[in-house]
Amino acid sequence: MITPSALACSQFVGARIPSPFFLPISKIRSSPRCAAVTATAPAPEATLYDVLGLTAGATSGEIKAAYRRLARACHPDVVAADRRGASPDEFMRVHAAYSTLSDPEKRADYDRRLMAPKLAAFGRQRWPPRGPRPFSSSASSTSAATSFSCYGRRTWETDQCW
Amino acid sequence: MHIISLFRMAEQFYTVASDSETTGDDKVQSAFPDLAIGIDIGTSKCSVAIWNGTQVELLRNPRNQKLMRSYVMFKDDSPSGGVSEELAHGEPEIFSGSAVFNMKRLVGRVDTDPVVHASKTLPFLVQTLDIGVRPFIAALVNNVWRSTTPEEVLAIFLVELKAMAEVQLKRRIRTAIITIPVSCSRFQKTRIERACAMAGLHVLRLMPEPTSVALLYAQQQQLSLHENMGSGIEKVALIFNMGAGYCDVAITATAGGVSQIKALLGCTMGGEDILQNVLRHLLPNFDTFCADHSMDKIKLMGLLRIATQDAIHKLSSQPSVNIDVDLGDGNKVCKTLNRSEFEEVNGKLFEKCEKLIMQCLVDAKFTAEDINDVILVGGCSNIPKIRSLVLGLCKRENLYEGIDLLEAAVCGAALEGAVASGISDPSGSLDLLTIQATPMSLGIRADGDGFAAIINRNMAIPARKDMLFTTAHDNQTEALIAVYEGEGKVAEENHLLGYFKITGIPPAPKGTVEISVCMDIDASDVLRVLAGVVLPGTQNAVSPFIEVRMPTLGDGHGWCAQALAKMYGSSLDLAAIPKKLQQ
Repeated sequence: MITPSALACSQFVGARIPSPFFLPISKIRSSPRCAAVTATAPAPEATLYDVLGLTAGATSGEIKAAYRRLARACHPDVVAADRRGASPDEFMRVHAAYSTLSDPEKRADYDRRLMAPKLAAFGRQRWPPRGPRPFSSSASSTSAATSFSCYGRRTWETDQCW
Repeated sequence: MHIISLFRMAEQFYTVASDSETTGDDKVQSAFPDLAIGIDIGTSKCSVAIWNGTQVELLRNPRNQKLMRSYVMFKDDSPSGGVSEELAHGEPEIFSGSAVFNMKRLVGRVDTDPVVHASKTLPFLVQTLDIGVRPFIAALVNNVWRSTTPEEVLAIFLVELKAMAEVQLKRRIRTAIITIPVSCSRFQKTRIERACAMAGLHVLRLMPEPTSVALLYAQQQQLSLHENMGSGIEKVALIFNMGAGYCDVAITATAGGVSQIKALLGCTMGGEDILQNVLRHLLPNFDTFCADHSMDKIKLMGLLRIATQDAIHKLSSQPSVNIDVDLGDGNKVCKTLNRSEFEEVNGKLFEKCEKLIMQCLVDAKFTAEDINDVILVGGCSNIPKIRSLVLGLCKRENLYEGIDLLEAAVCGAALEGAVASGISDPSGSLDLLTIQATPMSLGIRADGDGFAAIINRNMAIPARKDMLFTTAHDNQTEALIAVYEGEGKVAEENHLLGYFKITGIPPAPKGTVEISVCMDIDASDVLRVLAGVVLPGTQNAVSPFIEVRMPTLGDGHGWCAQALAKMYGSSLDLAAIPKKLQQ
């Protein structure tokens, strides 16, 4: 499964080797807001979880499985067979997401940064007015995942206690 | 010119062979006209394999061998390799000075390299000038040392392998997956590719040997754990590969047919070094003994090599062995070598093996407890000490079974050949993928003689990363980008791959200009370096960037860095911008 933003990104990139003017994309790769800057797709705040098609509460097993599934779909070695000149950017995005989320320390750090603005908002507003409650049900779709994370309840530290 | 004559020779030879072949062995048919073959060019032995539609099959030479000695014999008019040739006088002929072997260890090395120096004790001629150029290599033909190059020798050998495969598969072979050692530098890779091109082979992929073993393991896991396919249940395997020339370690995490290389590490160390250690132990003046390369000495040296090699093999199954060789002029080697003595003589080598494994575990962020399977491949895996040290470090009792230690690498290469050729199998046994990792760090010279790694080792391929640099002097308008590969903290300790100049830098105080250097490795492992000046704080290029495919250097690259230093000193230097400022 590839998120809409991932597809948009790869179409945008086009050529396998970016022209100098396109260099920014590589720079952005290291930043968590990768999709937000490059993609023109409607999901402006695509998180690393979105890249892997997961929810913020995904287990490490789910992260690994999602990474492998996506690698089988977008790694240039696989794609090259049916689509010439396949772009490695899709795979690099997936890998960047995976390498952050599969490392407990980096993931905790990322989660904290992801939550920071939302936690601030949470302080002003005691409870979100409407919407699905945390852990309500199938939060598998990208939109559900993002709206879920909006509640700002989850941080890595508390995650471990659950 | 050797190549052309050999093409003709090989063709004639195999035409005859195929005509006389009446047994219609149509199992390996040309059902896949562009299917790439897998080739494992070993320092000592070589093999070819192909996906035959249902499984991997090793091809055999006319003498029914799957593993063929890697050497090329130079004779009166044309050379011939170990694929087809039958030695009239047996093994000693290889050590007569007329045959060149160990080309895998020599290819793409300069004459200051210790590995080249260690090769001076081989029966053929290896001459060095110690100035950083290609060594001079020659074979004895009619009492004359006739020059050749490691690439040429490799190409001649590949021509024979290709001809053999073409006869058996009854079709032209154009593409191949070639296995290489982990420590093979990018410059060496270009030399191997050149040898393949000389032999008419297009290299689809140069695959580090342990990663090719990892792919075979991934396939075996997938077949045996079909119910777990696609799930996150992964198995971690440590692969230790030590052949005659090189030692490699890799750690792979495998699930659902996807083999993810977590870490890999290697060095030029193998059976040849073990042999030389024992030879030096038996004959303390070993290095001077064979220095003059007279006919007598070459012959005696050959005898000693064979006897010692044989003794080492025997020591794997028996506690002690006798070596008795008369070297003439009162020189006589007569000794009983036992296993503990052998282990002591090679103590440093075994220590280095341990260090490689421990470093690889650290790099992969695993401990011994995380390892599910320990896979041992390569000829040296038969040595009891190697087995015990690998198992000891991995805290395991037993090795993984079901992988042939000499055939695993070529089988994996054949699988990769099928996958890369776009072949799919209805049973799903080709639903495989290797996520390769960079075996060495890549970076540029910065902060004086320092090495700033841009792509670190063990990063997933394809990879792209950039880093900002700045000028080292006020009003500096040009900067030199010198690209290196390796792990040394000082640039000169690493392999120089190439260099280019960034010009038109706007005059400004030092440390204010931002120069972006981007490194890109695509899925076929091609390295490109992009560099240019960007407006501070933005990503906008001031003028068009420069893109260079690396390596750009030809022979004599030992000189280049010195020449550049002499010409420009530090005037074109760059400084790295501290990490925290790199946004």
